[in-house]
Amino acid sequence: MSAPAPAAAPRLAVRGELRLVARQLRYEQLSFWLNPVGAIFTVVFSVVFLVMLGASAGSSRVSYLGNVELVQYYVPAFVSYGVMAACFTTLCISLVVRRETGLLKRLRLSPLPTWGLLAAIVLSTAVIACIQVVLLLAVGRLGFGVHLPHDGLAFVLALLVGVASFTALGVAMSTLVPNQEAAGPVTSTVFFILLFLSGLWFPIKSGSTLAQISTWFPIRHFLKAVFAAFNAQGESPLSWHDLLIVAAWGTAGAVVALRRFQWAPRRG
Amino acid sequence: MSVVSVRGLRKSYGSLTAVDDVSFEVQRGEVFALLGPNGAGKTSTIEILEGFRGRDGGEVRVLGIDPGVRSTQRWLRSQLGVVLQELAVEPFLSVRQVLTRNAGYYPAPRPVEEVIELIGLAEKADAKVKTLSGGQQRRLDVGLGIVGAPALLFLDEPTTGLDPAGRRMSWELLQRLAGEGTTVILTTHYMDEAEALAQRVAIIARGRIVADGAPDTIGGRDRGAATIRFRLPSDAGAEELPEECFEADAQVRRDDGGAVEIQTDEEVRVLHALTGWAQERGVALAGLTVRRNTLEDVYLRLTGGDPERERAGAEAELVRSR
Repeated sequence: MSAPAPAAAPRLAVRGELRLVARQLRYEQLSFWLNPVGAIFTVVFSVVFLVMLGASAGSSRVSYLGNVELVQYYVPAFVSYGVMAACFTTLCISLVVRRETGLLKRLRLSPLPTWGLLAAIVLSTAVIACIQVVLLLAVGRLGFGVHLPHDGLAFVLALLVGVASFTALGVAMSTLVPNQEAAGPVTSTVFFILLFLSGLWFPIKSGSTLAQISTWFPIRHFLKAVFAAFNAQGESPLSWHDLLIVAAWGTAGAVVALRRFQWAPRRG
Repeated sequence: MSVVSVRGLRKSYGSLTAVDDVSFEVQRGEVFALLGPNGAGKTSTIEILEGFRGRDGGEVRVLGIDPGVRSTQRWLRSQLGVVLQELAVEPFLSVRQVLTRNAGYYPAPRPVEEVIELIGLAEKADAKVKTLSGGQQRRLDVGLGIVGAPALLFLDEPTTGLDPAGRRMSWELLQRLAGEGTTVILTTHYMDEAEALAQRVAIIARGRIVADGAPDTIGGRDRGAATIRFRLPSDAGAEELPEECFEADAQVRRDDGGAVEIQTDEEVRVLHALTGWAQERGVALAGLTVRRNTLEDVYLRLTGGDPERERAGAEAELVRSR
């Protein structure tokens, strides 16, 4: 029969593998940007939200947040929105659709290694999130004269934890959605309710009932961590406490994702 | 030499036995069909051969290796082509983009342009996948199955959901591939599909292979009974038919409308006597037909088209996908 299964030549192989991931990443990006609905829903929405809310905020200030301008609150808020939309909502919906249409199974049955495919999907999500962040910072800076993060390092660290955790939660969520038709409505509904509870649209007072509820979920903590990196006023720009809670949620998500992940359609 | 060898294969999902002691061999260059109703164990068997699913028992060799061994699965996947039941193609990429991407997964792919030509999508090469018709998408799907120049191609119900024209086109494509010497294992629940494409058919029901052979001899099709049908006018009684009609294991049935059905292994002798009798008596044998058992008859007899079983099969399908 054909050549026997070879033992891979290890050193050469690593480079080949990385090229494979890079190549898959390129096609992941292509698939994303060529889908107008997906691209608009994810990238344009966050910018439109920022522009709308930023414009309506005028010069009002938030007294309980160190008296910052409201628009200065909205930029970190929509930066976190952008990260979560890309990593949680968009990733989750696309995974469910790809699973149910057999795309994941087909990739699984190709010689592309599983880890390579997953790496490409995660990296692709991170790229989309980064594009969002840059776009939002530019709109905030140029459109509303908002200052950029005080502490670049704390900002990057918050983004890293956020991207990783919400990606894990997005994959976990995809394992809970039974079919393609439910993917969009279920995921978006969960996301928007959590956004509201977490005070993303309008800052909520700490100590209020809403603030109490929102402390249970990761969105509020992610938002606070990003906000802290932007507006360090006396406090530490690195909100360890919040980032740890986000990371804990991310870890829980990763456990669910690894346990329940499925390649084949469920047809349920 | 066998490309695939399966011996005593078993797979259960909980208390449900999906594959129960299945054995078969597929030779190089052969087109082999697993024919059976939904939930009979076809897809489970194929998934085990692909290394996608584990097995509970039995010996399996695909291209000389055990598909259940993880360390060689990636090599195995580089030698396999797969076409799934679902039309699994990214909707927003073009035909050429999708084929180019997948070609890159394989060590020695077929040239993309050659595949485009082969699947008859040259004019649609730059069209987005979502603008293709169902039949065109299916052909692209087959194209993705062969772009890696596989030593073995799996087709899981390749024409389910296609209109007759789309099926016909897919068949032509698959016949061309078979002509090139690609070894193919396909599953189907269409008898005509197995007959049109496969050199060898195994009929599978309730997880067991109940018959295995060439489509025109399977289940004793070439020997077994033929059915002679005609109508007698109301003034002629069936008991007046010549004695050859009642000989040996021939069976005569007549309903109220005068329709007569004779089952016999010796249709030539019976027909000869029958037509002679009709001429002599001046009786018209209206609507006279002789029909040899079709693959469908064999299939229905062997799979026992029993609704309870069908339901159990549907449940097996459900459990399997969990």
